[in-house]
Amino acid sequence: MKTEKTTILNNDCNCEETSRVNIPSVVDEVVSYTGRESDKVILILQEVQKKLNWLPSEALKYICEVTDITPGQISGVSTFYSQFRHLPVGQHTIKICAGTACHVKGSPLISDAFKRVLKIDDTRSASPDNLFSIEEVACLGCCTLAPVVQIDGKTYGHVRPTQVDEIINDFLNSHAGSDKTPMSEQNDDIDAEIRIGIGSCCVAGGSREILSEIIEIREKYNLNIRLKPVGCVGVCNQTPLMEIVTQDNIHSRYTKVSKPQVEEILLKHVKPRTLRNKIKYNINDLVDSFLSDDKVTGQINVSDGVREKYLNNFLNHQVHIATLNSGNLSPESFEEYTLSGGFEALKRCISDSDQETIIRTITASGLRGRGGAGFPTGKKWKISMQSSGSPKYVVCNGDEGDPGAFMDRMLLESFPFRIIEGMLIAGYATGSSEGIFYIRAEYPLAVSRIRLALKLCYENKILGNNIFSSSFSFKISVFEGAGAFVCGEETALIASLEGKRGMPHLRPPYPAVKGFRQKPTLVNNVETLSLVPWIITNGAEKFGSIGTEKSKGTKVFALAGKISKGGLIEVPMGITIHRIVEEIGDGVGDNSTFKAVQIGGPSGGCIPADKADTTVDYEELTRLGAMMGSGGMVVLDDSDCMVDMAKYFLTFTHKQSCGKCTFCRVGTKHMLNIITRLTEGKANSEDINELENLSRLVKAGSLCGLGKSAPNPVLTGLQYFRDEYEEHTKGICRARKCRDLIKYIVTDKCTGCTICSQGCPVKAIPFNPYEKHEIDQLICTKCDNCRIVCPEKAIEIVNLNG
Amino acid sequence: MVKLKINNEIFEVADGLTILDVAGIAGIHIPTLCHNKDLPHYSSCMVCMVKDKLTGNFLPSCSALVQNNMDIECSSDDVNNLRRKAVELLLSEHRAECEAPCKVVCPAGYNIPLMNRLLAAKDFSGAVSLSITQIGSNEFLCTNCPGYCENACRRKKVDTPVSIRNMQIFVSQQIKPENYNHDANNILSSENKVKPDKPSKDFSSHIGRLEDGEQKEWLKECKDVLKRVREISDSDSAASESESCMHCDCRAVDNCRLRDIARELSIKDPRGKIINSPIQKKININTGLIFENAKCIKCGLCVRLCEESKEEPALCFINRGFVSIISEPLTEDFNNILKSKSQEVIDICPTGALSLFK
Repeated sequence: MKTEKTTILNNDCNCEETSRVNIPSVVDEVVSYTGRESDKVILILQEVQKKLNWLPSEALKYICEVTDITPGQISGVSTFYSQFRHLPVGQHTIKICAGTACHVKGSPLISDAFKRVLKIDDTRSASPDNLFSIEEVACLGCCTLAPVVQIDGKTYGHVRPTQVDEIINDFLNSHAGSDKTPMSEQNDDIDAEIRIGIGSCCVAGGSREILSEIIEIREKYNLNIRLKPVGCVGVCNQTPLMEIVTQDNIHSRYTKVSKPQVEEILLKHVKPRTLRNKIKYNINDLVDSFLSDDKVTGQINVSDGVREKYLNNFLNHQVHIATLNSGNLSPESFEEYTLSGGFEALKRCISDSDQETIIRTITASGLRGRGGAGFPTGKKWKISMQSSGSPKYVVCNGDEGDPGAFMDRMLLESFPFRIIEGMLIAGYATGSSEGIFYIRAEYPLAVSRIRLALKLCYENKILGNNIFSSSFSFKISVFEGAGAFVCGEETALIASLEGKRGMPHLRPPYPAVKGFRQKPTLVNNVETLSLVPWIITNGAEKFGSIGTEKSKGTKVFALAGKISKGGLIEVPMGITIHRIVEEIGDGVGDNSTFKAVQIGGPSGGCIPADKADTTVDYEELTRLGAMMGSGGMVVLDDSDCMVDMAKYFLTFTHKQSCGKCTFCRVGTKHMLNIITRLTEGKANSEDINELENLSRLVKAGSLCGLGKSAPNPVLTGLQYFRDEYEEHTKGICRARKCRDLIKYIVTDKCTGCTICSQGCPVKAIPFNPYEKHEIDQLICTKCDNCRIVCPEKAIEIVNLNG
Repeated sequence: MVKLKINNEIFEVADGLTILDVAGIAGIHIPTLCHNKDLPHYSSCMVCMVKDKLTGNFLPSCSALVQNNMDIECSSDDVNNLRRKAVELLLSEHRAECEAPCKVVCPAGYNIPLMNRLLAAKDFSGAVSLSITQIGSNEFLCTNCPGYCENACRRKKVDTPVSIRNMQIFVSQQIKPENYNHDANNILSSENKVKPDKPSKDFSSHIGRLEDGEQKEWLKECKDVLKRVREISDSDSAASESESCMHCDCRAVDNCRLRDIARELSIKDPRGKIINSPIQKKININTGLIFENAKCIKCGLCVRLCEESKEEPALCFINRGFVSIISEPLTEDFNNILKSKSQEVIDICPTGALSLFK
């Protein structure tokens, strides 16, 4: 929220840094490669901010002087998108993820902890030493590692509020570290291939360290092994993952690998080459076996049938179409993709088929948009094909903004070539000649993978003029979203491409008829495009044989929240929620009860546990009040409060509202006020009725999907958990989540160890060794630290009101 | 050509028209706020909602293109209910008063703020004419009135209330008996006791107590008055004292489309206003343009009207969502915008958010 003008703030900020830089020369340099046209405004602002770290008003003014951008446009655009900063920030930005999975795992408490330790409050934007700034971001897309914190690109997962100092020290002490992904190695005469996952979750889990350790061990023992970095396997909760494929084609998979284990694992499968190393190894081995009988821990997966039950369950139910070859392909290798059959579908389309046939195939397959709305893809392609205008565009919508969803991120990072192929097929079928990848800026790895893949495609003449020696020419560019969830809506997306505020408009006119620059623009989701090559190769009937009558094929879900084994899964439509949660995800664990599944993110709704036999199907989910959405599936247990969840989602959609239409802009504010009072125990039954009525009207009266679906979490909450809402009017939160309705107490299990007293950040627990400790309720801020650190589990949360 | 039904009547019209266009041609009334026939549509206010019986969906008629087989109803209970909610929501973020407290409590309903503005502009004959209209042929009531107006005057909280009674008495004393307007409509005759008037049946937006910081904003319209006077003896002292008026009323009181629609839909002013921050009044000292953020309904007409150029910066939207506001661009000063278009934006603004400082 930027309400102050930056001219006032210049008096207060530490602007020595900025004034040393020559702002006009920075801007001039940027404009020299972006161009001066007004629709380049977002790109120009992004580039200038990269260099200056923020956007001083002097820069904004100068940009207007040297380009066609007007002061009104630059003001409106730079304040609309969350990426742009009008206040100077600290040297390092700490991004605290406020996505669904992270919220459910306690991110508000982490945010509080960081602010407390770094002494950042509402009056300042950076810590007193100007080293750090805090930014709460909508979703970093690493949901299985929730709660997640990212500092300057370094990701920390499973963060606890008690770890703030540790994390900051680790960050400050860590080497700059090479961010470059290791190249896939080529030699064939090897004893084994070592595959390491390098998706975002893997990296956050520490796979880069494992990789460097492997290289060291290889060096130390002169091992004859080949390194192969691979994309996401989906088993995100078990990172870092390491797979060893030996010459006799035996696959051994290790999960949760730690640095000390690398040597042992490698040497188990690969013998050192030289005699000297062999001797060294054998002696070590001898010594080790004398001193300990520790075996290698971590689950092993041997591919000839002897499989561990969990991985079996996790992987067996999956059907890989979008994620075909997961774990086998290096995301940066054009050769591997083509060797595994990549671009064959495209070739077939161009040389053996025509526009009508391709579109008929896609239509017959039953493919529906995977971004959430489920519009029939073939129908959309047909509209675009039939619309006239030149050039025609294909946009890949990678603006995955649903907090708790990271499927598209994974697909972009791990299978970039497949998506490019899907886009090319779409382009050929619709008669388009230009493609745009619209990827949110919060996915830097996805952006760089796609950029690299595009470069390789151009080099191999898969992009450019006369592809496969035909008359079909296609070029693709990348646009980084500037931070607005609403830009996932296709008309708002197009507005942002044109350098405007991302505001949707009513359809018709449909973008496929009149879109970007008033030309026919086909907008398809990442996952939708990634399914296209398979459909062309294997046929519409095969795709249609999977799934239900109206929802064909597979869907990628991001399973996160209170689930034992979260990760990314691709399952056939028609699978039940029960199977996903209990079998694939291995349930919620022994100490809690499965309560509900939030499907579809903030636009979706909660499906209660007693409806777990619901099948995953577009119409079925809509009938129950939820929505398929983009695929985020957050599992909730009895420690999650349904009113709090609804408030969380409503806060998100309200903040992301573009602000154009009355119902969404003002209506969601009123709804939020009521639901906040409910969580504070200050609302009554009348308020619940008003909330319900208002929800229905906001749903009916909003202009676009954001507003129309924002009330869904509230409406499904009221539909299935109304008694919880009623209880809140009496001041009771049965999940013991709502802070105004609970208190922390010390039970008789207390042994007087004083750990809680020492860790309490506000000194609410007097130091009382060997005696039962007491929490001063007047001081307690309910930060949860004491409950986490108590070794006897003697601290409990109870309701204030019975 | 497209064939569709509106209010059960069949229309055959050209492609590319909106439902509002067709309704206009057919003489069917649909209320609008953010729409202007000469500007591109925006679909912000959602007051023009209609219902398509075929799909059950509600559509903003200003941008909904006509399509075959549409079955539009423009004035059912459903539709009116939704329109009413839209206006109520707009009113809940419209922190404004149609009538100033002084006028509301005045038993005779004298338009005190207007009188003050005329006096401040040294338009003494205008002030006298206004007085004539209000008093008519009857006895001037201020002399016997305990002065409810001064009690309600917001200036009281700053220093002392505006010396309303004395100013009114002074002006009325300048009226020559032959100029009395015998046809003037009086609220109370002099035989009746002086008692507080009932609030107007007309729609009126209320504020109540000012929030923190609001008082400071409202004082921006008052010139610094070095010496407050209690006794008003001449037009100079009248003019000086009138400068301390905070203009609590809305200058668009008779010219506000939001008020018209609220009246049309029989809406009561919602209690509890939510403010999207900041509470702000901006005054352009060069052109006299005043922008009051609290009255703005974000319809964007002022932005769409001005084809902004670098030579003449205009108003623009800032921020996103609930906290979006209309403002001068970040790189400009409010005093430098709209050099030539001030009157145009004031005319097009559907509320009193943009007005002229008189």
